[in-house]
Order: sequence, then structure tokens, then C-alpha cells
Amino acid sequence: MSATAFGWLILLFPLAGSILIGLGHRRWPAKTAGWIGTAAIGLAFAAAIGAFLSLLGEPAEERQLTSSAWDYATSVGLDIQLGILVDPLSVVMCLVVTGVSTLIHLYSTAYMVSDKGYARFFSYLNFFVFSMLLLVLAGNFVLLIVGWAFVGFASYALISFWYRRGTATAAGMKAFVINVVGDIGLVLAAFLIFREVGAFEYLTVFEESREHFETNEGSIVAICLLLLVGAFAKSAQIPFHTWLPDAMEGPTPVSALIHAATMVTAGVYLIARAHPLFELAPTAADIAAFVGLATLIVAATIALVVTDLKRIIAYSTMSQIGYMIVGVSIGAYTAGIFHLMTHAFFKALLFMAAGSVIGAMAGNQNIDRMSGFRRAMPFTSLALIVGGLALAGFPLMSGFFSKDEILVFAAERGGMYWIFAIGGYAAAFLTAFYAFRIGFRVVLGEPCEEAKEVERGGLAHGEHENPATGEKEDTEVGFPGSEHHIAERAPGMKIAMGVLAMLSIVAGFIQLPGVTAGMEHFLEGSFEESELFHIVPSEGSAYTGLLIGGLMAFAGIGVAYLVYVARPGLTGRLRSRMEGVHGFLQRKWYFDEAIDFLVYRPAIKLGQFSNNVIERVVVDGIVSVTAGAVREAGLLVRGAQSGFVRAYALLVLGGFAALALYFLVVSS
Amino acid sequence: MILAQAFNAPDVDYAGLSPIIALTVGLVVVLLVGLAGRAQRALVSAASFIAYGAAAGLSIWQFGEEADLVSGALRLDELGLVATLISILCAVFVIPLSWREESADRAPGPGGHGEFQALLMASVLGMALLAMAQNLVIFFVGLELLSVPLYVLCGSALRRRVSLESGLKYLIVGSLGSATLLYGLAFIYGGSGSTDFTGIREGIGAGLADDPLILIGVALTATGLAFKLSIAPFHQWTPDVYQGAPTPVTAFMAVATKAAAFAVFARFFEVALGPAVGDWQPALAALAAVSIIVGNVGALTQSSLKRLLGYSGIAQAGYMLAGIVAANEAGIEALFFYLSAYAFMNLAAFAVITIRERETGFGDDIRSIQGLGRERPILAWPLTIAMLALAGLPGTAGFIGKLYLIEASVAGDFTWLGVMIAVGTMISLAYYLRVIAAMWMRPAYLSDPTPEAHNRVLPAMAGGSGELGGTPGVRCRVILGFTLVAAFATVFFGVIPSPLVDFVSGTGESITASFG
Amino acid sequence: MLIAILCVPIGVAIISAFLPSRLVAPVSVLGSLVTLGLTVALIAGFDPGVPGLQNVVDEAWIPGLGVRFQLGIDGISLFLVAMTALLWAASFAWSAWRMPDRPKNYFLMLGIGEFAVMGAFLAQDLLLFVLFFDLMLVPFFFLVGSYGTGDRIKATIKMMVYTLVGSLLMLVAAIATAILTSETTGELSFALSDLRANVLPEGSQDWIFWFFAAAFLVKMPSFPLHGWMPDAYRSCPLPVLALLSGVLPKVAAYGFLRVVLPIFPDATIQFQELVLVLGLVSILYGSAMAFAQTNVRLIAGYSSIAQLGFITLGVFSLSSDGANGAVLQMVNHGLVVAPVFLIIAVLAERYGTEDLREMGGAATRAPVLAVLFLIVTMATLAMPGSANFIGEFYILNGLFDEKTAYAVIAMAGVAMAAFYALRLYQKTMHNRLPAGVESREMSLRDASVLVPLVLVIIGTALYPTLILKRGEASVQDKVGAVTAAEEPEGGLAAKP
Repeated sequence: MSATAFGWLILLFPLAGSILIGLGHRRWPAKTAGWIGTAAIGLAFAAAIGAFLSLLGEPAEERQLTSSAWDYATSVGLDIQLGILVDPLSVVMCLVVTGVSTLIHLYSTAYMVSDKGYARFFSYLNFFVFSMLLLVLAGNFVLLIVGWAFVGFASYALISFWYRRGTATAAGMKAFVINVVGDIGLVLAAFLIFREVGAFEYLTVFEESREHFETNEGSIVAICLLLLVGAFAKSAQIPFHTWLPDAMEGPTPVSALIHAATMVTAGVYLIARAHPLFELAPTAADIAAFVGLATLIVAATIALVVTDLKRIIAYSTMSQIGYMIVGVSIGAYTAGIFHLMTHAFFKALLFMAAGSVIGAMAGNQNIDRMSGFRRAMPFTSLALIVGGLALAGFPLMSGFFSKDEILVFAAERGGMYWIFAIGGYAAAFLTAFYAFRIGFRVVLGEPCEEAKEVERGGLAHGEHENPATGEKEDTEVGFPGSEHHIAERAPGMKIAMGVLAMLSIVAGFIQLPGVTAGMEHFLEGSFEESELFHIVPSEGSAYTGLLIGGLMAFAGIGVAYLVYVARPGLTGRLRSRMEGVHGFLQRKWYFDEAIDFLVYRPAIKLGQFSNNVIERVVVDGIVSVTAGAVREAGLLVRGAQSGFVRAYALLVLGGFAALALYFLVVSS
Repeated sequence: MILAQAFNAPDVDYAGLSPIIALTVGLVVVLLVGLAGRAQRALVSAASFIAYGAAAGLSIWQFGEEADLVSGALRLDELGLVATLISILCAVFVIPLSWREESADRAPGPGGHGEFQALLMASVLGMALLAMAQNLVIFFVGLELLSVPLYVLCGSALRRRVSLESGLKYLIVGSLGSATLLYGLAFIYGGSGSTDFTGIREGIGAGLADDPLILIGVALTATGLAFKLSIAPFHQWTPDVYQGAPTPVTAFMAVATKAAAFAVFARFFEVALGPAVGDWQPALAALAAVSIIVGNVGALTQSSLKRLLGYSGIAQAGYMLAGIVAANEAGIEALFFYLSAYAFMNLAAFAVITIRERETGFGDDIRSIQGLGRERPILAWPLTIAMLALAGLPGTAGFIGKLYLIEASVAGDFTWLGVMIAVGTMISLAYYLRVIAAMWMRPAYLSDPTPEAHNRVLPAMAGGSGELGGTPGVRCRVILGFTLVAAFATVFFGVIPSPLVDFVSGTGESITASFG
Repeated sequence: MLIAILCVPIGVAIISAFLPSRLVAPVSVLGSLVTLGLTVALIAGFDPGVPGLQNVVDEAWIPGLGVRFQLGIDGISLFLVAMTALLWAASFAWSAWRMPDRPKNYFLMLGIGEFAVMGAFLAQDLLLFVLFFDLMLVPFFFLVGSYGTGDRIKATIKMMVYTLVGSLLMLVAAIATAILTSETTGELSFALSDLRANVLPEGSQDWIFWFFAAAFLVKMPSFPLHGWMPDAYRSCPLPVLALLSGVLPKVAAYGFLRVVLPIFPDATIQFQELVLVLGLVSILYGSAMAFAQTNVRLIAGYSSIAQLGFITLGVFSLSSDGANGAVLQMVNHGLVVAPVFLIIAVLAERYGTEDLREMGGAATRAPVLAVLFLIVTMATLAMPGSANFIGEFYILNGLFDEKTAYAVIAMAGVAMAAFYALRLYQKTMHNRLPAGVESREMSLRDASVLVPLVLVIIGTALYPTLILKRGEASVQDKVGAVTAAEEPEGGLAAKP
């Protein structure tokens, strides 16, 4: 069976699953929906492996296969196929997406069990996976845009999954609109590409553009920048990042799947996919890299002060994606994708653990109220620690290798690219710090009420309320279910977390500098023409990088230990010492306020202005003036209608006089 | 043989005159039959029907003939015949309308049907003459024969002050009109030295085009005719008279007068004044534009349906005048097509108003038809169709008529007049739609005063106070029948206009032929 | 074939006017389904390759005035006709389920409406087109006026006068075109083919162009000529509004493509920029207004002003892909806006209000309705993957080559659409239910109308090429007429 056939299967299973669940949402007994969903993604994963193997069977230069189902929108010279491109890059993405998704579905079967929207949840989740795979497998820019938008839609649907929560629906709206802005960037890029190259197919476009464009020519830079708008909006890079923290309104598995492991990495994929264009427009590539750098630092700093458990992890996600963006932008494609994969593992793991904790805290997400879960939930605590270590880049954990590979590559390219190396390592320290801000806070310390409750074998039952606003809620559809399970208790969740934990530890070893280069060899099929791809840092520098990275991790964790365990009071004093900084970070660098002020308000104002002024004055004005004039004339005519014969006679004479005058004039 | 040679009478083409003769005879007969006491109405109506039928039949028999009658005083051609037929159609339609109308039907005792119908027929006779006239004398005689009976008819509702007032008003202002006309004819005769249209034509052609005498004459004639056609600014009598006169009479003069007057208008200007076309075209165009505007804006705020139709008639006259302004065959055809269509729609409208006048106490006020759509759709539909047609909406003869007129005026290089017609139509929508809205979209007007209460009934001048109005819808079936036919015709000729187009197709040539 | 499509609606309407009241609704619905079937057959028998007309009917009508009864179909009108039939069937069915009072009038008017719209789409004689174009309004005048809500009489008269202002000017313009052409050719004819064969000199094209444009822009409606829209939309009964907003504007946009481009190419080129600006302003203004509305009908109403703006841009991009996109978008917009209004009807029944601020949470017990509405919403905001996206993509891509700035600015409209469309969905279906309202799933009857419509939306989304391919040839033909005029040696410039 050919790789493309597998490609179609990868798309087919999730879609079928979604529709099946949707149609049967009334009929299915209790948890069938969950099992159907999980099975569908599992099959997709199997198909992905099939594609992987059949690609391995091919020689490196023949690993780019396309296939088209039908003419999607083809006429008057535009040729838009419903076609897919199966190549190492897309297959790796498929493996990551389907693999992680399967585990998260498994986790959800238990986590969401008490929720009234159980079937709907899995239908959406399957649809999301389908969209993500469509995005990854698309063979041309138009289909990419379709997948891109579907993903955005699925994310919207899942963020506002608890659709009776005002905060959730608002967050969904925000995410959707920002993502549409991204789509627009892509669409304009597509127009420009079509105008320049006259095609939408990836391979044709890349082929053509090599001849067609000068390096750094205006139009190609424009194309890349427009692509970047899309990439940044989806990957929550500055300034399009504000939706991601709010997206945490969605159920925790959603945060784990969409807003950590898969969707938000689409931007990274896009840049890697379009690398031939970006290598023609180094300027654009550098801009992308700098934005990535900025994001990874800003996000890391915010993560230091946020107190909402899920939001801390969300900001850490932004920061980690910053690393990936830097990677793929400076040409460290392997490293970027590699980090994408490892990040998917440990970030999903962290979220699952967090979900478990939140479950135990009866929905409360404030880390200030959490402490001492180590005895109550040893397994979860372990997961948190493992995930934290991987995130912090602790030696020999997966994140350790993947992150450093990017930074070393930056150093290798030298020149201004040193900035990325330095910034990256600095941020690595912060990362390690906030990673264990979570770890120590939740795991160590005096057990809090809920922790004790769990130790007693019970489960804290808090008020059903919106954690953000405190509004009272019922547990009917549209609100969270009565209770959410703890990982310890449900085998499904336990398995999922176990597997991810293992991967977070070992995944790094497929890319040991000088030892293994599995990822690199496989990806070669997609990046042959790129010369950047073939830059490989010397083992020496690679190991120095690892050393520095390791030190950063130790330092960060050490400081975290100092602040949160050794000297509990210290945080308070630090805060009071640096009130200004803290406030600034707490307000998240005022991005929300800025956007609200610059974009949202003006739009609404414009609407009100048109409604109150233009509509009244201009539009109705035209009418009322004419109508008024006509009515006046009417009154005039009636006024003349006095009813007296003499008046009439007068007018008759007047009219005659006029006529006579006219005739005399024309005659002479 | 010898006799024949000795006594050579002027050869009279009796065939050609036959319609007129029929009408004349009919007139006498009707008057006599009117003496009958019992079953007067039936007899009179029958007689009139027969007379009109005969006249119409003969006209159709003569259709297509072209000849000068009585040494060129009359012209027998399709132009005249078409106009005559339209007038006859109106008269026939009015017969049933006049039943139970107090102006004709002064029960108890001998009703006035004889007089009423005779006067009506006299007027029709006048119209026939006018339509055929191609000689200044006949022109004037015809016009007076047309007008005088109408003065009387307007005042014939003796008990209603408004009726008397309108009759009087019409008489006074009308005589002013006639006077101006007479002057005009005199001037023209003086200028050209001929009373025959063709003669005048030759006179003018020979370079009298810029003779002030002639031109003053033209101005005066135009005034007189414009007055009869109620073209602004000579329109002011129209709303008052229309409102005051008994509705059947209004219905009759709204259409028939226009038909005949336009016929002679066309003949006079395009035959007699043909050579001076460049001079009078702009003047008439201006008149047309003015009356389109005045008529339409005047109608906007009317609540009396008859007044409303009066103003709308002013505007319609403006539209039709465009046909003459165009000064081409298409123009004349357009004019008569529109006249025929106008006859159908207007009669339908007036018929419904008459019926409602008798059924409700609101007279011709718009309240009388409110909610008609729900109560009496069979009445609402004809009026609706009539209004849509007057507004010139597609699917009705009105649309084709406007199309015809605009096409003619554009062809005659008067595109702006075509635009004026369109603009006028836009304004007119406002009031025509108001009427439709009243019927279909408003609830029936509840507080219904007793019949006729709204116009003060004077002590009977002749034969005691009779039953007025009559019980709703008893004798209205015939009227209803006629109304439905008219409405149907309006739609029919809107969808399949060809028959009507063919009917008027000859009128164009008859002008050119008459001085061929 | 075309005769049948034209006659079935009016015939059924007239017949059912003489049937007993209880039979009227079913018979009318049946009739509309027959019409729909005929149009489907028409699509099946259509030959995509041909740029010209197919199934032509050509009879003498008013020889005296040079008017012929000439019908024909091509790639531009094909799917518009089908869409018309579909939406009318939907509206008929919807009305039949909720029997209006005086059903005879109601269904008669609806039937006349379908007859008129079909006529306008099929007419190949300029005057016939104008006639049907004006006739369209009459039934809607009655429907809004007698079955509407609120200040319906004022609204309906305003609508009539407003739209007929344009139409009557168009009548004059049409006549002028024919007469002026006949002065060069000798015989008077309104046939579009004849008029196109020998185009007017540039000078007289200009004012005629604007008379036509006025008629079409009012009907669309386009800023600033949309004054009639808010009142009419507020009072129009919803099943009728689905047509008033779904079909009628398309006739106007279609008119540009069918009449203006081929017959007045020079004027088209001359005024392209101006019309483009109007379209652009309509997009931005319509979207901005859609933000500010709280009446659900008006949100949809102003959004369609914006959508029609896109279509205008497409037509006047004067590029094949732009125009083809416009054709596709005409069909799409009809397909999505009709169900929106029907869903609004359902919601209004639930909430007893049409004020967005008093709605919310309808999804709780109505998942199916929610999903249908969600699909329609996504199509409305032209989410990639919907046929609407392909439509806009074609339109803007066509515009992008020559008029890049317009395309870029128009994109802002896309973002705004995302906001107001989603706002409409969220504020009705999501958030908490207002007190005293309880959420109910829609009835099977409503589903019987809505589900097929949504299925069609999905179908076109999956395979827009079906429409694009058939539009291709005819569109290139129409745009070609203009581009030919652009070249200096083009035969049109060489007119006396």
C-alpha cells in the first residue's frame, strides 16, 4: 500500500469518527463515544506508522509523494486540487499528532466522564485531529488554508466547549477572530504567490520560485511576512499571542492536545514547510527568528508571576514555541521539529498532571492554594516532576537535547545569530525556575485541605462555580460535569500519563549529537535542496551547548528550591521589593489592553458612528430631503386650489400669456 | 336620369358618416323612449345600448377607410374611428353605472334616464365629430357639442350642492376655455385664410410660420385644448369638477373627453400646424412636463379618491401629450394605445368607487375602500389592478403604454421627456400604492355613518326625497361584471398587447395620409 | 424547458387561487418542487463547454415595439435559477407548515414572485428583463405589506418607491439603448445579442450606464442606496425575507454581468474605479453596521450588504476569475442567508423577541439546531472550506492582480465578518438562557426545510468546481466583451 493511500486513511479515520459520534450522539450508551473517538485516532496513528514505513522503503530523494482526490476549485486558470503531499516532514507531524492525540483521547474518556457533553466533546476532538492532519498533509496552499481554518474553528469550538460560561465563549471568540486574522495573512500570501508564480501546489511553487525570485526580492519577502502573520497567529507569537492564555478556559485535555501539543505548533510546521521561500527571503526569516526570541523571553517572564496553574503552563508553551520558531527560522529544521516533538510529549504530560491536580482541587486552579500533594497523589506528582524536568531541560531528559540543538545551531551560524543562543540560554534559566515553581509548590510543602481529603481516599467537592468569576453554575450540559477524575484513580488516565512520561524521558535519544541522527536522516527527504539543513554543529560545540544548558537547568531549579522550599517567605519580600516589575508582568506586559485600545474599540466605535451618524444623516438624509421637497410641491399645488373660479381663470390667463410670449419669441 | 343631371346634390358618403348618423338617430330615439313611465330605465338603457352598438359596429365596418367627407369638413380615418370607439366604450360602460344614480334615477315617479342618456349620447356625438373634424368650424361645433351636455350632466345630481357647484364651475371655466379656443381659431383663419386643416397647412407652409397672428392663434388654441384635456396650468377645474360631479359622469368625462380632444389635438397640430412643428414642440413639451409634475404631486395628499384620480388624470394627460410632442407616427400610436388602456383602467377604478359610494357612507373617501381586500376581494382586485396599471407596473396595459410613449419620445429626440415620465411615475407610486395599501393592508374602517350622511341632502327640487344609495350590492352585479371585464382587459393587454397595438397601428399613418 | 420553468410557478399559483383553501398550501409546495426538479434537469442537460446561450426560446411578442419573448440560459444564470427554485421551495414549505391567513393571496404572490425572478434570470431581451425586474417587486410589496410586522405599510411603500426609482430610470435607459442602436442598424430590437453586436458610442453609454447602475445598486442594496433595507427587513415576514435577501439582490448583481458589461463596455471601463469604491465601502460599512445592530434580522441584513459588496468587486474586477467568483458567491450567499433567516424565525418563536440582548443559550436543548446554525454561520463568514470562501478567494484573487489595494482592504471585511457572524451565533445559541425561556429542539417540520438546505451548502463546499466549471465559459465571454473594448483597435472604440 502506497504512502499516499495511508495518507488518505490518516485523514479518513478521524473524520469518520467525528461524524459517527455526531450522528449517534443520542443513541450511544454511556462511554461508547469515547471509545469510538479513541479508536478512530488510534487507527489514524496506525496508518501514520504505515505511511512512515512505506516512506522508509523509498530512497531519500523519492520521499515526496502527492495524490489528488478531485478538482476542488478549478476554473479560469486557477488549478486547485483536493490533494495531499506525503513527505517525511508531514509524516513526522502526523506521527506526533496522532500519537499524542490517541493518548489524550484515552485520558479524556475518563476525565470527561461526568460531563453532559461527553459525545459532543469527542466529536469535536476527532474533528480537530482531522483538521490538524489536513493542515499537515495538504498538498497546496489553498488546502493548507482550509486545514488552517478548520483547526482554528475546532479550537474555538473546544475553548467554548462549556458554552454557558461567559468567560469561555468570550475566550473562544477572541481565539477565533485572531486566528481569522492569521488566515487572512495566508490568503493574501496565496494571492501574491499565484500572481508571481501562477500556482498553488507546494512543489510547483517551490520549484518555480527558485528560478523566479532574487534573494530578498520585495515580493518574496512580502510573501514570507504574510505567511508569518498566519504562523504567529496560530502559534501564539507576539503580538498575536493574547488568545492562548484565555484559551485555558477549555477543558484540560483540550489544553493539552490543542494548546500545547499540536495546533499551536502549526506555525513552526508552516515555516519548515515553506523553507524554500524563507531561504529566498533571509530578512523575513530573521524577523521571524527575532519575534520568536522576543516571545520566548516575554512569555517566560510572565510565567514567573501568573498564579493560575494552567496559565503558567500556557505561557511556558508560548515560550517553548518561541524556541521552535527561532529554530526553523534560522535553519535548524531538524532541531525545530525535534523540539516540537519532545515538547508535545512533556507539555501534554504536564497538562494531564495539572488536570489531575485541578480535579483534586475541585476545579480550583490557583497554585497559591495548592501544596503537598506528594503523598496524596504520588503518581501525579511524579508526572509533574518528570514533565518539569523535561521542560527545564534537565540533563538527559528529552527537552535537554532538543532545546540545546537549536541554540547550538544558532551559535554555529555565528554573527548576529549569537543573540539567539544567549537569549535562549537566559530564558532556559527562567524556564527551569517556573517549571519548578509549579513542581515544588504543588508537590512539596504542607498538604492543603484538598490534599488531605484525597489522602483520606475521598475527593474534595467544591462549589460548582466559574473559577475565573465565581458565578454559580449547575452541572447540566454547557457547564462542567459534577466531578473530574484524578489520574491516580482511572486506569485510562494513568496509562496515558505513563506513556508520555516515558517518552519525555527517552525521546531525546533519537538525536544524540554524534551518536544517533534518526530524525535528521529521515527528514532529509524534505530538505535536500536546503543548504542550511546540512549545517551540522561540530560535536565539540554540541556538547559545550549541552553543558551550558544543563547548568542553566540546575541553576533555575536550585533558585526555585531556594525561593519556594528553603525560604518560604522570600517570594513575598521579592514581590514587595519589585512592585513595579511584578505589576508589569502581572498585567502581561499590557498586551491585552493595547489590542483592546488599538483594534477592538475603534472597530466598535466605527460601527456606532455609522449607525448613529452616517445612517441617519447621509442615507436617510437623501430620502427625507427628496420626499420633503415633493411634499412641499404638493402643498403648493393644493394651496393654489382655492376653489374660486376667478383664481382659476387667472391662472388660465397666466398660462396663456406664457404660451403666447413663447411663441412670439420664437417667431421673431 | 335627367333629374339626376339637373339636380346634382353634393355627393355624401353615407357609409362614412354612418356612425355619426347612428348616434344622431339614437339620440332622438333615446329622448323619446325617455318619456315612457314604467320600465323607463330598461327601455332607455336598451335603446342606448342598441344605438351605441350600431355606431360601434358601423365604425368597425368603416375601419381602414380613408376619405374626406362632406367636402373635407370631416375626415374618415382610423384616427377618428379609434377615438370614437373609445368614447363609445366609455359611454356604454357608464350606462349601468348610472342606474340607481340619483342624477339619472329620481324615483319615485318618472326618472331622468331619458335626459341623462340623451345628454350622454349628445356628448358622444360631439366627440365623434371632434375626432373626425378637419375643419375649424366642425372643430368648434364638435367641441361645444361635447362640452355643453357635460356641463349639465355634472350638475344633474340636483339634491347635492357639490354637484350643482361643480356643474356651474365647469360651465363658467369651460366657457372661458371655449372662448380662448374660438379666438384662436379665428386668428388662425385670419392668418392663413383657410378653415380647412390642409389649407392652413399650406398657408403656414408658405412662410406664415413666424406670423404673430398665427402664433397667437396657436397659443390660444393650445390653451383651449389643454383646458379640455386638463393639462397644467389649465387644470384647476379638474379636481373640483371630478369630485363634485356624479361619479358615472366623472368616469365618462375622465376618459372619453381626453380621447376626442387628443384626436383633434393631434390632427390640428400635426396636420394643420405640421410645418411649424419646430415651434410648438418645445412649448407642448413644457406643458407636458408641468402637468406631469403638478398632477402627481397634487395627488399625493388627497383623501378623496375622485380628487386623487382627477390629479392623476392631469398627470396622465401629461404623459399622453408626450405622444404628440414626439411628432412622429409612433407618437400618435402610443397616444391612442395609452388612451385605450387608460379607458379600461380608469373605468374599472371609477366603477369600484361608485359601488363603494353606494355601499358605505364614506362617499368617495379613501376610508370607503379600507379593508376591501379581506371583505370583498372581488371588488378589491379590479381596483388594485387599475391602480397598478395607472402606476405603470409591468403585467398591465399601463406598462406597455408607458413603454410605447417613452419609446416614441426618445425616438422624437425628447429623451428628457421620457425621463420626466419615469420621474412622474415614481412620484405617482406614492399615492397609487396608498390606495392599494388601504384595501389590502388596513383593517376595514369601523364607524360607518349612514349612507349619504356626509353630503348634506337638500330638500328635493323634483319629485320628493327618493331612496338614495340603495341597499348594498343589489344592482351592482352588472356593474361588477363590466368592472371585471375592464380589469381583465387591463391585464390581458398587458400580457398580450399585440391586438391593441394592431388596433391603433393605423392612427399613425392617418395623419400623414390626410395631407399626402 | 425554460418555458416550463417559467410557467409552472405562475400556473400553479393561479390554479391554486381557485382551489379550496386547505389544498392551496400542498399544491403550491408541490408546484415549487416540480420547478426545482426542472431546474435540476436543466443542470444535468447543460453543456459546460458552450460560452453562448442554451435551450433558447425566441418568439415575437410586441413586434410593433421590437420586443421579443426571448429566453435562454448560460453558465451565469444556470445555478442562479436552480438556487431560486430551491429557496422558493424552501420558503413555500416553511410557509405551508405555518399556515398564513388568507393563504390564497399569500401563495399567489409567492408564485408570481418566483415567476418574475425566473423571468429576469432567463430573459435575453433587454426589455423583457426590465419588465420582469420591475414585476419582481409587486408580489413582495403585497407580502411585506399585508403579512409583515411593525410599521409594515410605511416600510413596504418605501421599499417600492426606492427600488422602482432605479427600475424606471432603467426602463428609459433600456429604451434609449434600443432606439439609439436602431439608428445605426436600421431596425429596432431589444435583443441583448443585437445590442451587444453594435455597441453605442461612448458618449451616450455614460448616462445610460448610470441609469442601469442606479437600478441595480438600489436593489442590491449598495451603500448609500440601502435606505429601504432596514425598514423592509424589520417588517418582512421571515420566510419571505429569506427570498427578499437571498434571491432579489442576485438579480441585480446578475444584471451587471448580463447587461451592463457586454452592452456598455466603454462606460464600464470608465466607471470601474467608482463602482469598485462603492463595493468596498459597502463591505466596510455593512460590516461596521452589523457590529452595531442588536436586531438579529438587521445583523443579517447589513452582512448581506457587505456580501453584495464582495460580489460587486468581483464583477467589476473585470477579470474572469473575479467574475466567476462573483457568480459562485451569488449562489452561495443565497444558500446561506436563507437558512439564517429561517433559523432566526425559529429563535424568534422561542424567545418572543428579535433583540440579540434578550437571547442566549438556545443550544442547551437543541443540539441539532445548534449544529445546523453553526455550519451556516461558518459558511456565512466564508470560513475556508466553505464554498463561500472559494467564492471570495476567486473574487479577491481576480481583484488582486490589477487592483491590489482594493483586495487588501476588502480583506478587512473578512475579519469583521468573522466577528459579527460569530457574535450572532454566540449571543443566540450560547451563554446563559434568559429567565422564563426554555430551549427546545426544532420541530421535524422545520428540520424538513433546514436540513436539505444545509446539505446543499455542504455539497457546494465539497465540490465548488461544479459551479465554477459551468460558469467559466460564459464569464470569460462577458468579461471578454469589456477587455476587447480596452484594446485601442477594439471594434467598439471605432464607432462614429
